[in-house]
Amino acid sequence: MQEILVVDNLTKTFKLSRKQQRIEKTDKSLKVAVDKLSFTAYKGEIFGLLGPNGAGKTTTLRMLATLIKPDSGNAVVDGKNIVTEDGEVRKKIGFLTSELKLEDFFTPNYIYDFFSDLYGVEPAIRDARKKDLFEKFGIDKFAEVKIANLSTGMKQKISLVISIVHDPELLIFDEPTNGLDVLTAKVVTDFLQELRNQGKTIILSTHIFSLVEKLCDRVGVIIDGRLVALDTLANLTVEKNIEQVFFDLYASVMGEDRV
Amino acid sequence: MKSLFTIVQKEFKRFFTDKRMIITIFLPGILIYAIYSLMGGIVGNMTETDKDYKPTAYVINMPDSLSAVMEEAFSLQTEDISEEEAKQLITDSELDIYIVFPQNFTTSIGSTPTPDVKMYYNSASTNSFTAYSLAMAFLNRINTSAFTINNALEKFDLAKTSDVSSQILSTMVPMLMFALLASACMSVAPESIAGEKERGTMATMLITPVKRSEIALGKIISLSCFALLSGISSFLGVIFALPNLMQGMINAETAIMYNVGDYFLILAIVISVVLALISAFSVISALAKSVKEAAAFISPLMIVVILLGMGTMLLGSNPAVGYYLIPLVGSGIAMASIMSFSSSLLGIWLSIISNLVIAAGFVVLLAFMFKSERIMFKK
Repeated sequence: MQEILVVDNLTKTFKLSRKQQRIEKTDKSLKVAVDKLSFTAYKGEIFGLLGPNGAGKTTTLRMLATLIKPDSGNAVVDGKNIVTEDGEVRKKIGFLTSELKLEDFFTPNYIYDFFSDLYGVEPAIRDARKKDLFEKFGIDKFAEVKIANLSTGMKQKISLVISIVHDPELLIFDEPTNGLDVLTAKVVTDFLQELRNQGKTIILSTHIFSLVEKLCDRVGVIIDGRLVALDTLANLTVEKNIEQVFFDLYASVMGEDRV
Repeated sequence: MKSLFTIVQKEFKRFFTDKRMIITIFLPGILIYAIYSLMGGIVGNMTETDKDYKPTAYVINMPDSLSAVMEEAFSLQTEDISEEEAKQLITDSELDIYIVFPQNFTTSIGSTPTPDVKMYYNSASTNSFTAYSLAMAFLNRINTSAFTINNALEKFDLAKTSDVSSQILSTMVPMLMFALLASACMSVAPESIAGEKERGTMATMLITPVKRSEIALGKIISLSCFALLSGISSFLGVIFALPNLMQGMINAETAIMYNVGDYFLILAIVISVVLALISAFSVISALAKSVKEAAAFISPLMIVVILLGMGTMLLGSNPAVGYYLIPLVGSGIAMASIMSFSSSLLGIWLSIISNLVIAAGFVVLLAFMFKSERIMFKK
């Protein structure tokens, strides 16, 4: 199997303000958000990062997307280093997270072209891909409507389309179905499967068990910044379903009383 | 480079298709025109003069080349009086101007020591100041680098009071202009930088392979263009209001004596001020987490800008060249000096260069800030 993403001992620490220290009920001024995380993702698979809120999933993804730098450790995306070759890495990845918004003053049509141009996509390829993607997600009917006037679901679909304008090899999706109705969520999950079938690699971060069971080939369980389990979905769920596996892991890591 | 163009294009589309933004371009110009005209009207009423009045002048060693125009513009006095008597007459507002050319002025132009023309006037008297402005304008038509005017260490302005309306007026212009330019910059920089950060659209741009420096430069270029248009609108406001502003002080003949070069210099100063302001405001906006916070950060800076403009008023229009290097203050002095016909070309360029250096420094700083995760992603 071809390795697309190799994560090696990735670590990120944040300083806590006094207010944050009170909320977290700690007197430590540093919080290790991601603690020596290592895993590998292969071509053509959906790799799930499963964990509760605050486990360090989003921080991990932001490091992989080169938005923030790791304190130590490293990751290599299709041969390019996220620390030293961040510009090259950005060409190879598509990143979808609720934090990344689109300027709602513009129309989907304009914003698609804008990002295509920033990624250096040839105009002919850009237009063909836009037509294809807009039709697939039903954006074509709203192509000239200001994003501000579109529904949450439509905005999410446009964000998804924008994240793949450059047809990247590695897709990093952070909670892609959050806040979507069942219909839109299905469109998104179906598309993720379609991308996998095309040979793309997808890193999917989520806390929704059913999504993991439906989509993921392999799963890494991340709790309190550390990877506590890593295996294929099939191996992890031989005896129990993924929900039970997760709660057992959580109890063993954090103590029974925290579950 | 292509990405830079794409970013500038997007910013243009953002601003130029938004009606509110368009209003911020033209409003300052209209406001300047209205305020200056009103000010001119008030001052004009206070110092009403006869439009047909011909200022009285006493000229020593009149060069032949100037005698025709001088006779046209001035009522030349011929009786024999001493320098002391002439100065006293000016102080008493009975004579408007006393001009002393060096002997053989025409032939000595360009020689060493540089010939110096002395002009005594009374800035508290409207007629005398008009005469001074007129004489300055005539002399500026000659090769001004070859001789100096009032270069000696003595008092040429013989006004008794320091309350000189004309000087206040020419220094009020820069102050008001800065305030309006700063407010134009304030209406775009926080929206474009802190706004994009706040709404999470900046992060979307930061995950593309485009270099941070290109994003910073793209932002500054497009914001500057926008603020420049606003600056040009302010500039046109000044130009059109000038005759109204100067009514009673400078007659119609003098008003058109600002030549193309003067207008070009004023425009160059305005452009450099805009670049300095917009880059400073952009850096502050990048530090802020939201548009609201950016506006709160910039507000004290607006006061500083206005204080610097007032500094111009205190320094008058002919301070030492070193003052021109102070950002904004130098531009204010330069603008005031152009408007009172006593400009120092070296000073003007120094003031422009000091603004440009500041702007370049802030662009580099902004690019670094776009790379900083603490600044761009801290909640």
